[in-house]
Formats: sequence, C-alpha cells, structure tokens
Amino acid sequence: MPEVKKQLPVITESNKAFWEAARRHELVAYRCLNCGALYLQQIDCVACGSPRMEWVKVSGRGEVFTFCIYHQPFHPAWKDDIPYNVAYVKLEEGPLLMTNIVGCDNKDIYIGMPVEVIFEDVAAEVTLPKFKPAG
Amino acid sequence: MTVLFGGTVSIRDKYAFVGVGLTKLGKIPEMTPDELAAQAISLALADAGMRPDEVDGYIYQQGIGGGLGDTVPLQMTGIPASMVWQVASLGSYANVMVAMAIGAMESGLCHTCVLVHAASAASRRGGGMMGGGPPMGSTPGAYGWYGPGATAACMAQRYMHLYGLKREQLGAIALTLREYANKRPDAVMHDRVITMDDYLNARMVVEPLCLYDFCLVNDGAVALIITLAERARNFKKRPVYVMGYGIDHSLREMGKSPESIHHFDGFVAQKAGEEAFGMAGITIKDIDVAEIYDAFTIFLLSQLESYGICKRGEAGPFVAAGSLKLNGSFPSNTSGTGLSWGYLMGFTQLTEGIRQMRGEGGVCQVKNAEICLVTGLGGMVDNGSAATCCILRR
Repeated sequence: MPEVKKQLPVITESNKAFWEAARRHELVAYRCLNCGALYLQQIDCVACGSPRMEWVKVSGRGEVFTFCIYHQPFHPAWKDDIPYNVAYVKLEEGPLLMTNIVGCDNKDIYIGMPVEVIFEDVAAEVTLPKFKPAG
Repeated sequence: MTVLFGGTVSIRDKYAFVGVGLTKLGKIPEMTPDELAAQAISLALADAGMRPDEVDGYIYQQGIGGGLGDTVPLQMTGIPASMVWQVASLGSYANVMVAMAIGAMESGLCHTCVLVHAASAASRRGGGMMGGGPPMGSTPGAYGWYGPGATAACMAQRYMHLYGLKREQLGAIALTLREYANKRPDAVMHDRVITMDDYLNARMVVEPLCLYDFCLVNDGAVALIITLAERARNFKKRPVYVMGYGIDHSLREMGKSPESIHHFDGFVAQKAGEEAFGMAGITIKDIDVAEIYDAFTIFLLSQLESYGICKRGEAGPFVAAGSLKLNGSFPSNTSGTGLSWGYLMGFTQLTEGIRQMRGEGGVCQVKNAEICLVTGLGGMVDNGSAATCCILRR
C-alpha cells in the first residue's frame, strides 16, 4: 500500500500571497485601504465595497474561537494523529482562521485561550500557519 | 401583519402531496441506487393510485453514496417526464425541491412532479461524497478537517461556552428520537434501545460529539408525488397541502463579522421562517408537530432557537424537559428521523411530515395534528449554510 499523504492547501491566484508569506514565516491579511476590514484572500471589501486593498502583515496573535477533537480519522493520512484538534482562531485584527493548536494537550484547549502563530513547513513549497499557547 | 421578507404571490394550499413511496431502510447492498429509486417511485404511484403517465416532472437528489443514473429510475417505471432536474446533495434541498416543483407547476412546466432521493451510504461509501475527500488539494484537509461533523462539534463547543449547554441535553435529543424510532417498525434503530448511560459512555467521534450525536449511515430511497390541488382530489390518499416555504442562508450575514457566515453561534434561519409563516398566514404557535433537520443533535437544538420555538440559549433546558416527546409541549421528529429512523437528507423530515398530516404516524401520531413544520439545512465549513423549511397541512 502506498503511503497516503495529507492533503495540501489549494493555492490559487487570489490566495497565493497568503501562502507565499507563510512560506517566509509571516502571517498576512488583505486589508481594505478605505475602511480597514481584513480578509484572508484577495477580494473587494465586503464591508464597504472598496476595491482598494493591500496585503499587510498581522500580529499573529489571537484567541481560540472554537475547536473540536477528532477521535476517528475521516481521511487515512490522519489515522496516526488521532486524537487531534482542529480550531478556528480569531486573530487580534479580526479575521477567523482554520488551524491546529500545537504545543499543548487537547484537553487544555479552551475557547478564549490566547494563542500565537507558529509555522510548520509541511512540503517543499508549503508552510501551514498553526497556533500555540501565547506567552 | 408585518412581512419582512417574501413577496405577495401566495401558493398557499394550491399544491398537495398525494403519493409517498419508501423502500426499506438499512443495509441493502443487493440493490443499486437506481433500483432503490425505481422501487420508491413504484410504491409512491401505488400509494396515490396513479398511472406512470400521469407524472410529467421529476426532480431528484443524489444521496450519500451517489450512483443515481439520472432518468434510469424513470425508464424502469415508465414515467414519461418532460421535466428532469437534478439538485445539489445537501440537507437543505428537500424543501427547495418542494419550492422548485411548485415553481415549475406555477409556470406551467408540469402538473405532477415526483421528488426522489436515493441513498447508498451504507453499501457504497468511499470515493463518493463524504467518503474521505477528493484526491486533489484541500485547505481544510491540510488541517485534518473532514466531514460536516466538525462544523457540528465546533457549534456544540460554542453552545457549551456561551450558554452552558450540557452533554446530557444533547443526549436528551438522542434519547427522545430513539424512543420514537423504537416504536416505528420501519426505523433502522427500531430494536436498539439506548439509555443516558449509553449516551454518556459512547465513543467520541468528533469531540464534544459522540456516536449518538451523529445521524445514521443507511441505504434506502423515497419518492414523493406532488400535484395541483384540483388534481390532488382524484387520487387515493387524503392530500397533504403545502401552506408555505422559505429559505435563508448565512451568507446574508456576510461582512457583519468574520465569524458570522460560519453560524457557530446558531443558524441563520429567520428569513426562512418569516417567509414560510408569512405565506401560510400562521405563527409558530399554530404548529402541531415539527420535523426538524437532525444530521446532528446540535443542529436540531440550534434550529429550535432559529425558528423562535425557544429563545437563544434556552433550547438545552427545553429539550431536557422532554418538550420534543409525544406528550411534550412541542412534539418533534416523531419517526426518530435522521438520528434513529434513517438518514435521507431532508427527505427524512419531509416524509414524516406528510405521514403525520395523513395520520399515518402509528403510535407516534400526534393526535389531531393539522399543521406541520418541516426544516432542512445544508452547507459545509467555509461555505456557510442554507436553512430551508416548509409548512404542511392536512
């Protein structure tokens, strides 16, 4: 049986700046020059409609918004990771990001937990932003 | 009356369900989805006392496992439909299919429509939808996020944090629905009794949700025939009329906050409810029985709040008080539905809603029930989700 690999993010025209920054171990968001709203991909501003946007570096700090713990693999590449968590982190600057919490036990994760970004190089061209307890 | 959404065109009572065909539910590896669908269609025609050539519209939905071959079930049953539509495979679509059928009949495309759903989830899983994800890249997959259970689990986690939701309250939903299923001979879980201890000790699937918070994985098909009210009276069974329907989507919240379209703090269904109740000219207080979409216990719980049956944060104590039971204040999910009867996406709810309005609920029949609310939900992860409903009357 060939080893089943974990899937990698789909890198596209509209999100490649995000993944290129992650490769440099930087977390970026797409900011509206008109109202300041932040997004994780290239779009016109949903809040005010402005097309004037730019990629900016964000702090990488935030808190756990919600999370869950897989006790059963739904994809064969994850079977040795059971139990593992998937979380949504709300960045200090606003955007909500799907991620994994690392550097602590699953049982110690809670909603509101302060976290900060770390970067995991998972393939030659791909780095995943993940989060660890802050401080 | 204040009508916030929807127009002035009313379809109330102009269309009615006249035929219900349901195959056995469970593990049926010997039958293909086409064969299951054809059997359901034949049963629906027999139930209505209708000839195949009296049906001219067909709207179908692939169940989990897929494999329904477009017009094959029509060829197997001799239905010469001129209108053939496939819709998305989401739990929100059974009610959308009701609206589509009515729209088609309103515009003269057809006069009698068969709505079909066929699932082969138990026998033909893997490779198809929810079978482990596509082979190409996936950003959620890169983080190990698979299946709709994670959405439900993340929602339950938020409810526990915000409102003090307890596992015992989700367990009360699982047990109430299982008790209904134990009384329904055609339920997959008819013979399998569970207790609160079983629930609390069950294995976790996606924590905080355990095995009994997840809907069933089964094969089976259903076909429902809907026609014009003036034709409906020609058939064998008492017609079940559509009073209204509505649809909403969490995309409506886009831009309010980054987390709003994810609806982790409760589904966005207000517009669906207002449209449907507005069309029907009734309020939630007029509902005698409800069939609420229950892919997960938490989905049912949250919709009790979305449709105004409970205030936000109060659905946990509401279900724990036994409100959803036959003798409770809001009898719901009377077959045991997706969690314990059989999962046919939104068709599980629609089918039982029609049966209740016909008085065919057996020992789970809500006495003198005249009006039924049927709901559905569909959507995953970063797409947000659709909420749909329809209101039936006898």
